[in-house]
Amino acid sequence: MSAIDDLPFDAVQAGVVLVIVALVYLFSPFYVSPAGFTFIFLEVGVLFLLYALILIGLNLQFGHTGLVNFGPVAFFAVGGYTAAMLTAVDPFKAVGLALPWPVGLVAAVLVAVALGALLGFSTLRLRDDFLAIVTLAVAEIIHGLIITFRDVTGGSVGLGNVPRPIAAPVGGGGGAELFATVLVLGALCVLAYGVFHRLSTAPYGRVLRAIRADEQVAATLGKRVFRYKLVVFVYGAAIAGLAGALLVFYNGAASAGFFTIDVTVIVWVGMLIGGAGNDRGVLAGLAIIMGFQLTTRFLNDVLPFITQDQFASVRLMLVGLLLMLIIKYRPEGLWGNARELGVES
Amino acid sequence: MTLLTIQNLRRSFGQLVAVDGVSFAVEPGELVGLIGPNGAGKTTVFNCISGTIPPAGGSVTFDGDDVTGAAPPALARRGLVRTFQQTRELSTMTVEDNMLLPWRDHPGERAVNALTRSSGVAESERAARERAQTLLEVFDLEDMVDEYASSLSGGQRKLLELARALMLDPKLLLLDEPFAGVNPTLTQRIAAHIKEFNDEGLTLLIIEHELETLTELVDRLVVLANGAVLATGTPNEILNNDRVIDAYLGR
Repeated sequence: MSAIDDLPFDAVQAGVVLVIVALVYLFSPFYVSPAGFTFIFLEVGVLFLLYALILIGLNLQFGHTGLVNFGPVAFFAVGGYTAAMLTAVDPFKAVGLALPWPVGLVAAVLVAVALGALLGFSTLRLRDDFLAIVTLAVAEIIHGLIITFRDVTGGSVGLGNVPRPIAAPVGGGGGAELFATVLVLGALCVLAYGVFHRLSTAPYGRVLRAIRADEQVAATLGKRVFRYKLVVFVYGAAIAGLAGALLVFYNGAASAGFFTIDVTVIVWVGMLIGGAGNDRGVLAGLAIIMGFQLTTRFLNDVLPFITQDQFASVRLMLVGLLLMLIIKYRPEGLWGNARELGVES
Repeated sequence: MTLLTIQNLRRSFGQLVAVDGVSFAVEPGELVGLIGPNGAGKTTVFNCISGTIPPAGGSVTFDGDDVTGAAPPALARRGLVRTFQQTRELSTMTVEDNMLLPWRDHPGERAVNALTRSSGVAESERAARERAQTLLEVFDLEDMVDEYASSLSGGQRKLLELARALMLDPKLLLLDEPFAGVNPTLTQRIAAHIKEFNDEGLTLLIIEHELETLTELVDRLVVLANGAVLATGTPNEILNNDRVIDAYLGR
């Protein structure tokens, strides 16, 4: 992985260039229309990039600062539904204010930030495990609210007619739209990775890792521990909110099924497999777990005597088994640093 | 001007009155020992001064300002720094990171500067490294720079904690039992370091419950017993004080 460190530019610079390239591509008359068999990979790729955004924030929170956030999906959902409700045009039986999509995007981030600040203020002064419990509970409450407040959120039916700002300027149908989405989200991911990686490698990151190691010592050495924890928690909330907005703008709809606890599980498992605290490792871990899910989906096709429902359960068990093996035999994950994580045997 | 003034400090835990009206002062440049038998309230006094726990009453004045109940980060930046009785090295970080962490007003610890990589960040980092290098050499830890703190020996951890506190360039250093669980050779070394920094102008307040090492080291002793100041004076005066001898030997 060191070859990437030796490049003459870093991910922030690369990300800015890629975002510009992606935007130019989007508004150019050209488009790439990939072959049909690649759609499944591109679809999983879009989901990977959205989850990667959440994970980039979660890794700063947990991997570097030690904040146990078991509810990243809460901020993902809040961002998604904020963007959907503000921008949807005449959705069926739900709130749709038909505002321009940039308003929805900004509002999604701001509302996620507000929720993050609220939770942070109320729980970050308490013992570590309180944050875990509160974030887990809040994620479930928000999921419940989405289902129950049918007239506002569309309930389990969902909320449609959301603008699709990435797909709209692209001609050439579904495949071309998918390709453009991967390009734009990929560029945003590189940029987000770069921003968070600059934070974690700067003296800023050193303070975060000191807080993870021993809050009281960090405070005694002059660091405003609570402020750092709060800000890091809010950064993670913001990027998850952004990912939520991007998801509904990609789908053209918001639906409760996209914001289940599965999202939290996938990003956590990806982070633990890759190695919490290793900014690139966690993304590789996410790729492994999502690749695993994709391969097992193909496996299902060649095993016709097992129903899809049964297979989904088996897959969940396999993920659980994989996680147990990692925790038992390689608690630092594949690319994590055992000494920095304090898990040496 | 007096550097640290403690007036009528009080603190209890439930029914137990741990500190009951303690008053004493530390002058700039002094090396003062705070002694007393187990349970006399030494650590509670320390915790109240350093902001680790809030006092129930009384006042702490540091460098001319009332800092009663101020939080540890604020005190550290004013120059009042403490160590802990059990060494609290950041074991998941390298010796160097342990040393660089306390550097004051590091611009790289602000997100904006970390993102923009402004020039001040590298400069501060360089200055901090230089100071860290000097201190590590003083404490004979310079070969351990890249090691994780978890791989240091117990004695090296003690030294690292002392060196790390000095990175803040404190006006007053509070040491909580720096000789606890330390072999005689290392005790001599730590004592020599303390003496050396004191000679260079650092003010120190040291908690210890064993008298021997301290009496040779300090200018003045404050003796606590049952949450109150029993006596204060030069080591010689204290050693010949009947009340102190009674309190210590329990007769």
